[in-house]
Amino acid sequence: MTDDLEPLRRSRPDRLLPDDPPDPEVLAREKARLLAAIGGASAEPRPAVPIGGPSICPRLAYRDEVAALEFLTSAFGLVERREARMEHPDGMLAWLRIGDGVVMIGRAGEERHGLRSPLETGAPTAMLNVYVPDVDAHHRRAAAEGARIVMPPEDMFWGDRRYEALDLEGHRWHFAERMTSRISDGGR
Amino acid sequence: MEESDGAVIAGSLSAPAQFGVIFDRHGSMLLRFLARRVPPAEAEDLLGEVFRIAFERRSTFECERGSARPWLYGIAANLVAKHHRGEARRLRAMARASVGRAAADDPAERAVAVADADALWPRVLDALAAIPEAERQVLLLFAWEELSYDEIAAALGVPVGTVRSRLHRGRARLAALTSEGTP
Repeated sequence: MTDDLEPLRRSRPDRLLPDDPPDPEVLAREKARLLAAIGGASAEPRPAVPIGGPSICPRLAYRDEVAALEFLTSAFGLVERREARMEHPDGMLAWLRIGDGVVMIGRAGEERHGLRSPLETGAPTAMLNVYVPDVDAHHRRAAAEGARIVMPPEDMFWGDRRYEALDLEGHRWHFAERMTSRISDGGR
Repeated sequence: MEESDGAVIAGSLSAPAQFGVIFDRHGSMLLRFLARRVPPAEAEDLLGEVFRIAFERRSTFECERGSARPWLYGIAANLVAKHHRGEARRLRAMARASVGRAAADDPAERAVAVADADALWPRVLDALAAIPEAERQVLLLFAWEELSYDEIAAALGVPVGTVRSRLHRGRARLAALTSEGTP
């Protein structure tokens, strides 16, 4: 695509000055306003958070966020909200959903809010606790896809069955299934 | 299967709240488009305006078109055009502000690419500011938004031939303006 318009393409402001994406809150607010204006929202309260989003959304930093995205979806079963993805020549920002939780992943670096990958710090920088419906199946898939398993599934005294893993760059993920209700159901 | 934009808009004639689906599908794209063209705070306001206008005019949307994307781009482009004088000023201000901005201290290759683009950027923006609005609109919808000729024609409500000729003139002007003073 090298032609006379290439300088213009490259001069697109957000290609040159990567910035965080349009704030999901802006979109949620404007949608709420729109619905209020068109009279369709009288019954719907203004959402406190963006549509479908939880109130808290951690962000993990990777040297190679594209590989991380692939890994997290194939090994851990996270699902990308593709419409939210932001791509820049020097970094991609993606929103991944699992259950009712959302995690953002992006490039590590000084200009990326100073966030670091464990590859750079030499130690995990975050640990995510995730509840899944079938932790043993989840573990099998993760192991098969090359996740580094730190601890295989084990029953915890507080009623979780969980395993612990590291992703490609060493962020720590704990996956658990809540067993208590099953046990109590079985006892009755 | 997912309903087409046309079907959703047709449905919104009797159930207005359905129009929110159109926002969900295109809101983010339009906000990015607007943010490239006007200051961020204005972009947010204009986003709301685009959808309010679209909602009011939804009965005129040709539902068999399927995607509402060009139509929404057209409304947004018109709003940006109303800010025309503001846009030219802003482009020049951005061009000035970019001079002397440090390149990202990322891996070498990228730094080179960025520095290279940096050198061009002020000239490109200055040139854009000097190009007639109708041509700039087509140029930017084509180069920045990556719309097809047909989509641009639908967005601006002009024949495809007009899109071609404006793009042609705009390119020529841009090339002439950016090469000025090049060694």
